[in-house]
Amino acid sequence: MAKVTLTINGRPRQVVAGPDLLLIDLLREGHRLTGVKQGCDRKGQCGACTVLVDGRTALACVTRVAKLDGARIVTVEGLGTPANPHPVQEAFVLSGAIQCGFCTPGMILAAKALLDANQDPSTAEIKHAYRRNLCRCTGYVKIIDAVKLAGRFLRGETTPEAVRPRPDGAVMGVSHPRPSAMAKACGTAEFTGDIHLPGALELAAVRSPHPHALILGIDTSAAEGMPGVAGVLTAKDIRGTNRLKYIVGDRPVLCDGKVRQVGDPVAAVAARTREEALAAAAAVRVEYQLLPALGSPQEAMAEGAPQVHADRPNLCYVQPLRKGDAAAALAASAAVVEARFRTQINHQAPLEPEASVAFLEGDGEDPVLVVIGRSINIHGSMAILQEALGHENMRYQEAYSGGQFGIKLEVVTEGLAAAAALKFRQPVRYIPSLEESILITNKRHAFHMQVRLGADARGRLTALAMDLLVDNGAYQSIGDVILRRALHMLSSSYFIPNIDALGRLVYTNNPWGSAARGAGPPQAHYALECAMDMLAEKLGLDPLEFRRRNSLRPGQTKATGYVVQDVWPFPELCDALQPHYRRALRERDGARTGTVRRGVGLGAAAFGIGQPGDKAAAAVDLDPDDGVTVSAAAADPGEGNDSMLSQLAAQVLGLPLDRVRVATRDTDHTAASGPASGSRITYMIGGAAVDALQQLKQAAAEVGALSWKAFQEAGRPTHYLGQKKILETAPLDPQTGQGPSFESNVHAIQMAEVEVDTATGQVQVLRMTVAVDPGPIINPQNVEGQLEGGMDMGVGYALREEYVTGRTRDWATFKFPTMRTAFDMTVVTRETPRLRGTLGATGVGEMSMVSTAPAVINAIHDACGAWIHELPAHPARVKAALAALQEPVP
Amino acid sequence: MVGEDRAKLMADLGRVARALDGRDIWFDWEGFFWDAADWSEAAAAQLAREGGLEDLGETHWKVLRFFRDYYAYHGRAPLNRHLREGTGLSLGELEGLFPGGIRLGARRLAGLPNPKSCF
Repeated sequence: MAKVTLTINGRPRQVVAGPDLLLIDLLREGHRLTGVKQGCDRKGQCGACTVLVDGRTALACVTRVAKLDGARIVTVEGLGTPANPHPVQEAFVLSGAIQCGFCTPGMILAAKALLDANQDPSTAEIKHAYRRNLCRCTGYVKIIDAVKLAGRFLRGETTPEAVRPRPDGAVMGVSHPRPSAMAKACGTAEFTGDIHLPGALELAAVRSPHPHALILGIDTSAAEGMPGVAGVLTAKDIRGTNRLKYIVGDRPVLCDGKVRQVGDPVAAVAARTREEALAAAAAVRVEYQLLPALGSPQEAMAEGAPQVHADRPNLCYVQPLRKGDAAAALAASAAVVEARFRTQINHQAPLEPEASVAFLEGDGEDPVLVVIGRSINIHGSMAILQEALGHENMRYQEAYSGGQFGIKLEVVTEGLAAAAALKFRQPVRYIPSLEESILITNKRHAFHMQVRLGADARGRLTALAMDLLVDNGAYQSIGDVILRRALHMLSSSYFIPNIDALGRLVYTNNPWGSAARGAGPPQAHYALECAMDMLAEKLGLDPLEFRRRNSLRPGQTKATGYVVQDVWPFPELCDALQPHYRRALRERDGARTGTVRRGVGLGAAAFGIGQPGDKAAAAVDLDPDDGVTVSAAAADPGEGNDSMLSQLAAQVLGLPLDRVRVATRDTDHTAASGPASGSRITYMIGGAAVDALQQLKQAAAEVGALSWKAFQEAGRPTHYLGQKKILETAPLDPQTGQGPSFESNVHAIQMAEVEVDTATGQVQVLRMTVAVDPGPIINPQNVEGQLEGGMDMGVGYALREEYVTGRTRDWATFKFPTMRTAFDMTVVTRETPRLRGTLGATGVGEMSMVSTAPAVINAIHDACGAWIHELPAHPARVKAALAALQEPVP
Repeated sequence: MVGEDRAKLMADLGRVARALDGRDIWFDWEGFFWDAADWSEAAAAQLAREGGLEDLGETHWKVLRFFRDYYAYHGRAPLNRHLREGTGLSLGELEGLFPGGIRLGARRLAGLPNPKSCF
């Protein structure tokens, strides 16, 4: 032990530290400085724990306190407060550099250290300074912008006051700071792991090392006698159905009799400390009888394959789609291309690991079970937990969430935390490691696709035949929803008169699939958009002109036969991209010699918004201070839904933004508005909010003032509930896949510029450009931020990222995007109002990566002639495809 | 997968339309009204009869109206604690009033949608 004297945020502190005490633990646990985030299992991989030590950046998770005698430590809390922020914090807020906010404290401190040494850093110097900091949300573009703006503040060239939009100024189309941004910039926003719960039990899970096995016995006796252990939880302790059920009740909170994937939970230990819980979990003995593991849909559909679930066949959902006569149309086509494509299982990779806390509020026989976690569907998650645990009196609260990208549509750690709180009647924290978080969470589905696409001699699409075989993994969740979404958007931006598709969903013993940004269409678009380039090449047509020529027009039908009523501004987007495309081709043509070849590729997307049957509710209250509060369960793990709702309210009511509040995080205080998924929030929940706001506005007109006192005197209600419903309700026909489809779409076309090193197979993305039309833009920074982050994610999906059980354990093995892999981006916007949009608007969060991968793969082909038929296009795969070009055609 | 197996699985997964109170009304995979606005007293009475409850008495209607009013104001379903406070009935009384209990009985009859809907 050593006595260490140091200053923390200007205050002298003394600590007697052992050799293993890490600075992150001293700051977070000892001083409650939770702006220092823990994200990567203390491997120094993510930078979320970055602090300043004597003015230089240090990763608190790998810095030993014993070596810090005399050191000056500054955390983000020591830099400024929401009432008195530092210029760097102001710059991050005003640049739109803060989405989920989990990386933000580390990013801000790294900027501070850089700017202290150099107030006018170049982009290269900024990138170098951020070599140890990761961000999943922004694509790094606006973080670089923020550092440059902070430099301007520090150099006295401008001020935050000059940059900040006036809260009583124009509302729509203005990048007003997000309401939550300053709290994230100053470290005062509490994420789940930051919540102070003195005396809480810590939880550790016992998880299956096998992909498929019977549980013959669980021996908890040794674990129960270990130090600090409160007890062990197994399936027999779960009082409800023990099934976390969206549609099919197949996924247990704790496995009872069988495990179906590696990482399945078998038992959980609650103890005084996390270390004690982990030690005891390791002492739980589980006897398994191994079963054959099904590693692919093909294996699972083979005759004699074991069933993953006794009551459901492995081929668990089938949806054909038949429009016109594709076979005849293909036979009569002037040109037909055919190819197979395959996508990988992938992790959504939010920077924050899984985390949940649970406790009982109140006394008596029926206390309120409070669950705090990262759900994007708090009312749905609560309903799932109520059934699974057999406890109805519940409240779910969404903490600040370090990204999610679909992963938190699912209840994961909440089930165990809540079950343990019920059993032990004590507060419980379950904060698994990053490695465990990656292991236990739902994944993006792998698709196996066969596509045939035809066109006539004039270059008009004639027919599409497509087989989509989807690896459901071990549990159903919303697999059928994902598959139907792919089918709804199968013809993308185009009019294809004849389609014959078959979607099949198959249980395997792979990780269970669920929501992931784009949710089905990214996989299907990879196949379709590559086939579009193949066909354009065969026809000798320019890929952009070929796409424009085949644009659907209002009045024509989508894949499901649905006649499009809304605008379809895809040709205009092609025109908007044209100058960028011509510039890219010119630059490409100057770089086509040597081993490093430049290529340009396109990918289009029409992403559906407003699925048949969708509905949402939102409430608005006129408050006693004459402000308004919009209440709706519109989760905001980083997209900016607080901006959207507050700006809509200010716009509709003509109020300054500082008189608008939003309440979105608690099931006790929000309307059940459905999940924050599928880019439905602006269109659906924003639409419901606008309905409520217009009711309030009408009432104010009748009362004569938007004043709480005047409403009271007039006897008028101050609370209004708004609704938005999609006009159509019917699902797709189960035999033909025909029926109503999304009533609006967000349209985009993306362009990738890449360099392929034909010697190594290495692909570098130089620039992504997107032309997008989401309707009228509410907050430009938020729209750009979604597109930039989505394209960065899409490039990772195309080139690097893949989840492999047992191998993908952290951010290094996942190949997380970094400043080193970051690239330039250009966003071109058009704003065509939608017929039933929210003040004309749709949403962009998911569409942003739907066509990135095919754009990159098409660019690789353009660069070197090789087709990549399986994602990701890592160097070995590119080299193999190049080698195949040299082989003689049989 | 063909025939009865497939029909069963599809029924588990999908929305189902059925004629009720002279109209086609969509229900979800757990038997909840897809849209609360499709509800009517006659539809509730018919569903109740199908569930073995021949007559909806005044106490039943008090509970169902509380569900509807709470939902219309808050945009979410009441929890049992709200039901107890709002109706003056005990949990046991509430559970016993409707075949299927509160959630699978009363809430379905009141026409409140399933919060687990996903898109």
